[in-house]
Amino acid sequence: MTITTETRPGSAAVRNRRQSIQRSVVILVVITVLAAFAPALLPESSQTIAVRVLIFAIMAIGWNLMSGYGGMFSFGHAAFFGIGAYTDVYLLEHFGWSPWISLVVGAMLAALVAICIGYLAFRYKLRSAYFALATFAFAEMLRLLATNTSWVNGTTGFHVPLLPDNSWSMLQFAANAPQYYYIGLALVVICLLITMFYLRSRTGIHTVAVRDNEDAADALGVNVMRVKLTTMALSAAITSVAGMFYAQYFMFVDPDIAFGQAQSVQAIAPAVIGGVATLWGPLVGALILGPLSDLTAGWLRNPPAFLEFLSGRGGLDVVLYSILLIVIALVLPKGIVGSIRDWWKRR
Amino acid sequence: MTGPTNAGGTVPSKDGTALRGGSRATSRLSLRHSTPLIVTGALLVVLFIAALLRSGSMGITGQALLTGIISGGVYSLLAMGLTLVFGVLDIVNFAHGAFLAVGLYITYEVAHQAGLNPYIALPVAILGLFVLGVLIQLLLLNRTMGGTLERQLLITLGLSLLISNVLLLAFGGDPLSANLKSDPGVHVFGAVANLSRVIALGGALVLAVLVFLLLERTSFGRAIRAVAASRQGAGLVGIDVRLVYAVTFGLGTACAGAAGMLIAPFTTITPTAGDQFNILAFVVVVMGGLGNVMGAVISGVIVGLVEQLGGVAIAGQSPLLGVFILFLLILLIRPQGIFGAASS
Amino acid sequence: MRTRSFVKLVAAVGSGAVLLAGCAGGDSGGSSGDAKVIKIGTLHPLSGANAGDGTQLENGVKLGIKAINDAGGIKALGGAKLELDGGDTKGTPDTGQSEAQRLVGDGVVALVGTYQSAVSANVAAVAERNKVPFVMDISGDDAILSHGYKYSFRMQPQNSRFGTTAAQYVKAISEAANRPVTKVAYLHEATAFGTGVYQAFKAEAQKSGLQMGPEITYDAASVSDLTTQIAQVKASGANVLVVSGYYRDGVLAAKAIQTVKPALDAVVGAADGAFDQPQFPTDAGSASQGYFDVNYHFDDKSADAKAFSALYKSTYKDEARTGAALAYDSVRVIAAALEKAGSTDASKVRDAIAQTSLTPLTLSDGPIKFSDKGENSTSLPVLTQVQNGAPVVVYPQSAAVKSPVYPANPGQ
Repeated sequence: MTITTETRPGSAAVRNRRQSIQRSVVILVVITVLAAFAPALLPESSQTIAVRVLIFAIMAIGWNLMSGYGGMFSFGHAAFFGIGAYTDVYLLEHFGWSPWISLVVGAMLAALVAICIGYLAFRYKLRSAYFALATFAFAEMLRLLATNTSWVNGTTGFHVPLLPDNSWSMLQFAANAPQYYYIGLALVVICLLITMFYLRSRTGIHTVAVRDNEDAADALGVNVMRVKLTTMALSAAITSVAGMFYAQYFMFVDPDIAFGQAQSVQAIAPAVIGGVATLWGPLVGALILGPLSDLTAGWLRNPPAFLEFLSGRGGLDVVLYSILLIVIALVLPKGIVGSIRDWWKRR
Repeated sequence: MTGPTNAGGTVPSKDGTALRGGSRATSRLSLRHSTPLIVTGALLVVLFIAALLRSGSMGITGQALLTGIISGGVYSLLAMGLTLVFGVLDIVNFAHGAFLAVGLYITYEVAHQAGLNPYIALPVAILGLFVLGVLIQLLLLNRTMGGTLERQLLITLGLSLLISNVLLLAFGGDPLSANLKSDPGVHVFGAVANLSRVIALGGALVLAVLVFLLLERTSFGRAIRAVAASRQGAGLVGIDVRLVYAVTFGLGTACAGAAGMLIAPFTTITPTAGDQFNILAFVVVVMGGLGNVMGAVISGVIVGLVEQLGGVAIAGQSPLLGVFILFLLILLIRPQGIFGAASS
Repeated sequence: MRTRSFVKLVAAVGSGAVLLAGCAGGDSGGSSGDAKVIKIGTLHPLSGANAGDGTQLENGVKLGIKAINDAGGIKALGGAKLELDGGDTKGTPDTGQSEAQRLVGDGVVALVGTYQSAVSANVAAVAERNKVPFVMDISGDDAILSHGYKYSFRMQPQNSRFGTTAAQYVKAISEAANRPVTKVAYLHEATAFGTGVYQAFKAEAQKSGLQMGPEITYDAASVSDLTTQIAQVKASGANVLVVSGYYRDGVLAAKAIQTVKPALDAVVGAADGAFDQPQFPTDAGSASQGYFDVNYHFDDKSADAKAFSALYKSTYKDEARTGAALAYDSVRVIAAALEKAGSTDASKVRDAIAQTSLTPLTLSDGPIKFSDKGENSTSLPVLTQVQNGAPVVVYPQSAAVKSPVYPANPGQ
């Protein structure tokens, strides 16, 4: 994709763009309708896994926007996830604010922090692994600060208090209530729509252009810093929504859960498995990674006869899980959606 | 390619410009070049004085200094292998801590099954991990060379998970130990450190010199540096890039094996024992400059000092916070690291 | 062409959904109609950093279930057999929660777990919302039971009680030996666990007139050397050091004390994860001699506890730790409640657990009895000391098998 063809008004490219967004929206509608039936098909006890898939998807959509389309590799998305989660529980505990308000506040805070991190990093021209390590360092610093700061309860973290009844305004329902799933699904759809339209906007197109050739984009008058920061802020805001939803669903947040390295990995892994810089990659990756560890644990709960000597020892399911992870990453270098797309083009 | 830039055992980075886009202006040995050193030195002095004031005791501060240097030796040990792999193969290897754990278990096996002094395990750990590393590079990672950062990250993370859970299956999760029969304290100016820790620091220095000599004084070292500078170029002049990659990765894991053996006498051995060092090892690698073995040793000691002095000087916050602040400062001021060669 | 790629995408997403559906399949063909088998769900870290302890707890549950079944099952329910439905939390709260949901969906009558307080906090909320009883074998954080949960119970003493009793015991044994405590230095890991125990200790110490010295903290996840911290203890002139930490850092502390050699009368763990463990003397060597710990512990005089230890050793080729006994007792509590309720109805079982009266394998002030909050009010932290390479109970006298050696001169 080059800037000249994409930004010229009235050209065929614009028509293509309009068509492709129509197609994407149609696909999204179909997926949403299909996914809406999931609670009816799935056993109740797998709801946590379904919700985890949705949370993974939101995080990965956020990460994909910045690191896939934007080419700014983040290894610190836990920072934004954690800000979303902590904003939610903090405002709830101290002011009794609705999670819906916290969603907006958290997203703005996350965007602000992203802009600060991004400004520093781009001002000093950090790239690739160095940029990743810088974002990682920021997430670690937030974790250490939360761990040692008493007004966010230090290592104890926060509990979301149980309510006697279902409440839409406080985003709390009976355990296993399908509302959680539908709210999560709605959030995923909204995040996907935002991504779609952002990528079709002028700034979105510039984002990809800057990724592909920063100097060329700069020469053509693109405000590189502004474009990068906008993308990063939007990505952080999306990821913070996952944090808010996590806190409301799992009802407990502490510094390790919110800002730990594991969260950063969970934002990256689904996008890589599904396909970096593809619209549907994060979703597909989340659908695979979300249930994978439960699947391997389920398969090996009663290990086959030839592994009988290992019974009573933990870790076998994680061994299988990690082998699958490595194999997928090796066999499908561009992720599932990316590989399918390439294969399709080659035909 | 053997220009003045790589004095100090530096592996020249193939993407010098990627370290800092358009860095032509900063290439000369200018004030900016020494800024990180000044910042680091100033931070250490401030921490030292703060520690002295807060503890009110030269004894405690002296102990923090010694412990900082000694535990910095442990970080250097780990970072050495990592910096080679990062610098030459461009792989951010998150399985490095897991390789260290393998070294720990090899030491445990030698010390317990064979009933020998743990230090006998050093050649076994080095050799075993070298072979393991070469195999992993040839069979697994070689297919991803030149691939994207995130894919390698996922694979090495998967590898780390795989190794630690295979160890869990094989040895169980209960902590094990490979203690020395006697591990007396070594006294230095009123401060004290265990003999095993002093040996580990010494081991780090010896290992660093060996790797340095290998890189600088042997033809294979020259091949490694050539590949690091330009893969295509090295291939054109007849260097077997695949072999260089495999051996370099093997050297990296062998360093992790040596590190595992050397820290085994004072470490509780569990399948996840290496994970706690992963993060700090990366901090050390970047601070020391990619592929810079001597830089890794010195910045390992700096991280150890910041951690220990910070722990005495600053109440209420984790001493690691200071380490990360320093890390970020150095990243921003000078991403080539304190001792990295000026990029050209 | 466009439609075909579209179909492909739908197929890809659809297959993912099938994958998702498959995960919860298994044997959900409920056992509700058939009362012959009653499932007990466990949630322990069987992989990850705490896999060693998690395995001990899981084994304790297995032995508990076997013991009940061998004795004829639940007689009030026609000799119904107990069955283990095991879950691996991997040590993370969200896996703990998804596993808990799975187990609840499987129709378990109660949950046992989880070793880590952060995971237990999550599981307790799941249990409360699904109205399934949850018996915590190990999980010390006071906060877990501070939300008024009705369905959660805790076997071990909560963290603050360790701090309080540690202060009492230190005062008592030092006075009995005529070596008054001049000053107490306190070394603890910096999370809720160490901080909570420290605060309880300090409050009790101030009440009983123990002089407190420096509070020294460290990060248990990253610490690799405690020499500087012990040098701070030495410089403070304290003659008693109290430590609250986990296993790995406990060994580090012991080794640092042996190297720095502060002039201490005693090192006392307050719920320390190392000093009362049977393998601590092996891992720390001679540095472990004389170490005290205030913790839950086997009732060494009870024939049942001895039989349990022997059975554990012969079954799993490993030394049983006290946690395994707590897990074993958790199963007994649930079985007794089933017996009493004569039903698998969750709220009846919950009420029966609340009225538990059962002699535990661990040292206690009498039969297990749960308070309104769900705390085991008769659980009793005791003082152990490493003597001749093994930790033994030395205080209070009613529970002691040996008398305390005080001053213990640790690390000399």
